[in-house]
Amino acid sequence: MNAARTGALALLLVAGAAAAAPPLRLWHAYRGAEEAALEQAVKRFTEESGTQVELLALPYDAFASKLASAIPHGVGPDVFLYAHEKLRSFREKGLLARADSRLVAADYLPNALPALQLDGATWGYPLSLKCLALYYDRDRVPSPPATTDEWLLQLEQLSRPEDGQFGLAYEAGDFYFHAPFLFGFGGTLFDGAGHARFTGKPMEDSLAFVLGLHRRGYLPEEASGALVKSLFNAQRVAMVISGPWFAGEISPEMNWGIAPLPSVSSTGLPLAPFLGVEAAFVSSRTQQAEGAQSLAHFLSVGDGAYLRATAGKQVPADTASHRTDAVKRDVFISRFKDAALHAVPMPHDLELQKMWEPMKLALRGLLQGGTTPEAAGALADRRYRALHRPAPPDAPVMPWLWGAAVLGLAAAGWAFSTRSREPFRKRYPEAWRGLAYVAPAAVGVVVLILVPFSVGIGLSLFHHEPSGAYRFVGLSNFTDILQSRGYAITEPLSFYFTLFVTVAWAAINVVLHVGIGLLLALVLKDPLLRLRGLYRVLLILPWAIPNYITALMWKGLFHRQFGAINALLVAVGVEPVSWFTRFSTAFAANVVTNTWLGFPFMMVVSLGALQSIPQDLYEAAEVDGASKWVQFRRITLPLLRPALLPSVILGSVWTFNMFNIIYLVSGGEPGGATDILVSEAYRWAFQRNEQYGFAAAYSVLIFAVLWLYTTATKRLTATEAA
Amino acid sequence: MSDVQLTNIHKSFGITRIVKGVDLHVRSGEFLVMVGPSGCGKTTLLRLISGLESPDIGDVHMGGVRVTDTPPRDRDVAMVFQSYALYPHMTVRENLAFGLELRKLPRKEIQTRVEEAAGQLELAHLLDRKPKQLSGGQRQRVAMGRALVRRPRVFLFDEPLSNLDTALRVQMRGELARLHRKLGATMVYVTHDQVEAMTLATRVAVFNGGKLQQVGSPLELYNAPTNQFVATFLGSPSMNFLAARRESGTLSGPGFSLPCGVDLGEVKDVKVGLRPQDLRVQGDGEFSGTVEAVERLGSDGYAFLQTAAGPLVSRFDRGTNVQVGDNVKVCLLSNALHVFSADGEAAILHPGDERPRVEVPA
Ligand SMILES: Nc1ncnc2c1ncn2[C@@H]1O[C@H](COP(=O)(O)OP(=O)(O)OP(=O)(O)O)[C@@H](O)[C@H]1O
Ligand SMILES: [Mg+2]
Repeated sequence: MNAARTGALALLLVAGAAAAAPPLRLWHAYRGAEEAALEQAVKRFTEESGTQVELLALPYDAFASKLASAIPHGVGPDVFLYAHEKLRSFREKGLLARADSRLVAADYLPNALPALQLDGATWGYPLSLKCLALYYDRDRVPSPPATTDEWLLQLEQLSRPEDGQFGLAYEAGDFYFHAPFLFGFGGTLFDGAGHARFTGKPMEDSLAFVLGLHRRGYLPEEASGALVKSLFNAQRVAMVISGPWFAGEISPEMNWGIAPLPSVSSTGLPLAPFLGVEAAFVSSRTQQAEGAQSLAHFLSVGDGAYLRATAGKQVPADTASHRTDAVKRDVFISRFKDAALHAVPMPHDLELQKMWEPMKLALRGLLQGGTTPEAAGALADRRYRALHRPAPPDAPVMPWLWGAAVLGLAAAGWAFSTRSREPFRKRYPEAWRGLAYVAPAAVGVVVLILVPFSVGIGLSLFHHEPSGAYRFVGLSNFTDILQSRGYAITEPLSFYFTLFVTVAWAAINVVLHVGIGLLLALVLKDPLLRLRGLYRVLLILPWAIPNYITALMWKGLFHRQFGAINALLVAVGVEPVSWFTRFSTAFAANVVTNTWLGFPFMMVVSLGALQSIPQDLYEAAEVDGASKWVQFRRITLPLLRPALLPSVILGSVWTFNMFNIIYLVSGGEPGGATDILVSEAYRWAFQRNEQYGFAAAYSVLIFAVLWLYTTATKRLTATEAA
Repeated sequence: MSDVQLTNIHKSFGITRIVKGVDLHVRSGEFLVMVGPSGCGKTTLLRLISGLESPDIGDVHMGGVRVTDTPPRDRDVAMVFQSYALYPHMTVRENLAFGLELRKLPRKEIQTRVEEAAGQLELAHLLDRKPKQLSGGQRQRVAMGRALVRRPRVFLFDEPLSNLDTALRVQMRGELARLHRKLGATMVYVTHDQVEAMTLATRVAVFNGGKLQQVGSPLELYNAPTNQFVATFLGSPSMNFLAARRESGTLSGPGFSLPCGVDLGEVKDVKVGLRPQDLRVQGDGEFSGTVEAVERLGSDGYAFLQTAAGPLVSRFDRGTNVQVGDNVKVCLLSNALHVFSADGEAAILHPGDERPRVEVPA
């Protein structure tokens, strides 16, 4: 009886514990059919294992950073789905658990697992494969090309650039799309020492091949993803290189097929695209390792894989589902599987991350700037070396600490020696009340200005790279910047070039803002103009709208193909301008946008100042014999000066640091030439190998430049006031 | 030839009619003084002459040429503004030189003219100051200087001496008169100061309510004002007016009776105008009244009386003892009687006239 009671109690406890076990958390970034398929697969898993699963779909952009912040705090998922490129980064942050013995190599397609291996272990269960393949229009391409020679013959017949007909379209400016050519001509990504390589015969051959396609008019210019899609659907291009995602964008009327990319006739090698492997990763902090491993495994093979293939149209990484009839019959999936067999798993090496920007520069130079293949490779190589400058040597810390201590002591001594003889309490009898009033503002200044400022200055003395910790390097960052180490001072990456662009940018903008603002103010001041109030409101509007919205609007207006500005140019019979491929036009686009944003402020200031000029001065001048222009020059301008000067100084400092416009409109194109100092600092910190210290040094230099400028102009305003 | 001819000028601001049909001929080389109560349109007329305003109706001619549509800078006029309108960002020297620079005079010439004007207006020590650093009177003189250096055909002065102390005003007045003789330019001058008007003017133009009342030499206006307004406006203290009735040869009112040697015709009710200067407090006379106030100018002065016919101001001579509260008699000097129509619109008789100037019906 006693035993029975104890047994019942134990059973109850176990049941209670089972009921209380929290569901497995699965995070992913799928949408649409893929998401629906995943839900089905998870339901199946719950049915078979009895374990509940809670799904959470995250926005793709924020996914990686969410994982990196949530998992270490124990609030992350048990399993998450992600592409393998981030493997090394996840691993270094300690987010991953090894796949356990459930993982059997023979269950998966041969090149899926290597993508997930690192440090002698496998870190995830491969789910699906993504790579590039050749889409073709069956109406015009009866059989897809097997070799590049065949391909070139077909392209020659299909292309009539003068009629807007092209044989092939793909995002030729992006290295992801160029990689197949590099591999096809026998190239490799890294040299023997593991460094990115941009030169050598295979690279040159691949660039020359693409340049040939471009020269002979087989490719449309500046193809973006959207352009490729619209051209294909309009039957203006017969073949497209793209990935599985492109299938969803093809219009239903099209009769299309898919094939692996052809082989290069001269080398016999296939054009091998990068392979992306999506995998189910088990979190290193999961509390339910067993359940999590089995969920991840379940999704990657058997029913899980079958459901994702049939319902979600994914190309599964396991072999079993490819043997099922339903999947075999799906041409889309089987062709992509064929393409994937040749594909090169994208390295998760950090070195690859350093290749994108230089290769983009090389491809743009090649396709738009008339650079030769050799020069383009060399250009990329130079940019690579510049961006990934060798870490400066460590500097001894002690002298700096001593220096700081001596400075601190000197300051304290100075404060002490100049202190008033009178006791503090007597001098400021109400000090505490005063302090209480000042405190909120003081805290704000300290937290928002002083602390970041000091941290920034401190940071500029350190070196940082994504893989490494902070290392103290003294003034090396500054000397590297100021000596323009690694590139000529006439190159966009040099501090001096950027400084020159920034100064020109600020000066031209301020001149235009003041000029247009003043002109409009003069017109609007005239009391005869009807509806003046309305015009004033309308003209102030650009100023009232958040500037990033305006920037994006103008970016759209300047678009090469769909922008209203080019549409207008075409309407009046002018060739459309490709705004962001040349420095002058890209710079002009930035200036136009910022002028649109900046003139209202100057107009408002000028209006106020104009209205404070007594009318009788103009009458006196009129009688004295002054024409309208002389009145403007000799009366209006000098009297506006005191009111306008502070606004001009303020405006030039704002413009000097106008990050939004540069970043959103030209984005620094072409090749970073239109970047200004702040956007350049941003790139060094967040787009070029996380060189935080270097970026901080840039910021300190920006501060120094602006400090000099304001000190100089303070003199100017002081003499003005006298 | 730099005369100015205003023909039937009308000017309104919005719906307010300010100038209501002015015809005025300013002769070449003349010093014409405009007087009138505040707000009667004097400044507006100057601005019409300068071209800063254009008339709604009517024409402006200068030197025989129609300039109604000519902008100010082509009219060769200089104007001293009531508000000075000095350029605040320029020094006194630059203010003075501005108009000359615009007319492209040689630098030497500009310099001599500026220094000359500065000497005349006692501005020499202020040349490098900005207007902000000057007193009101100093600014006014700079404004004058700016006009003087230009030496235009026509000068327009809008109360240019109003802010000066008495001594300086007297001095400037003399300076202006001298300049006028020397330059021989046409000058139109607005003032509220009778002494200025009387001493400077070749002719005086009296305005009221946007209309020209009378124009003539100072004495003409003083001796023969065309209506009660002009008579009141000129002379200090101003003319006494008493309602009277004509019965054959006498004009009589409550408590007085004055003989009138001229046949005034059928008119019954009139106003007699008596200048205080033509009345004397004496032992005997046509009027009697109580002294309410006394204004002494040294030993003689004016007595303000209340008589049966109304208030009356009369002069008293040295040696006449007048105290407030006294009952005194006042007599009219011979040949000093002005007679106006009962509504004051027209003058019927001035001293020395042999016939009435207008026929006023009974
Ligand atoms: N620009 C204008 N708009 C509307 N009304 C005006 C304007 N200029 C003048 N006035 C009006 O016209 C009338 C005459 O003005 P004006 O300045 O000519 O008078 P004034 O005779 O010069 O007076 P003062 O002796 O006080 O200077 C005034 O009632 C004034 O309010
Ligand atoms: Mg006036």
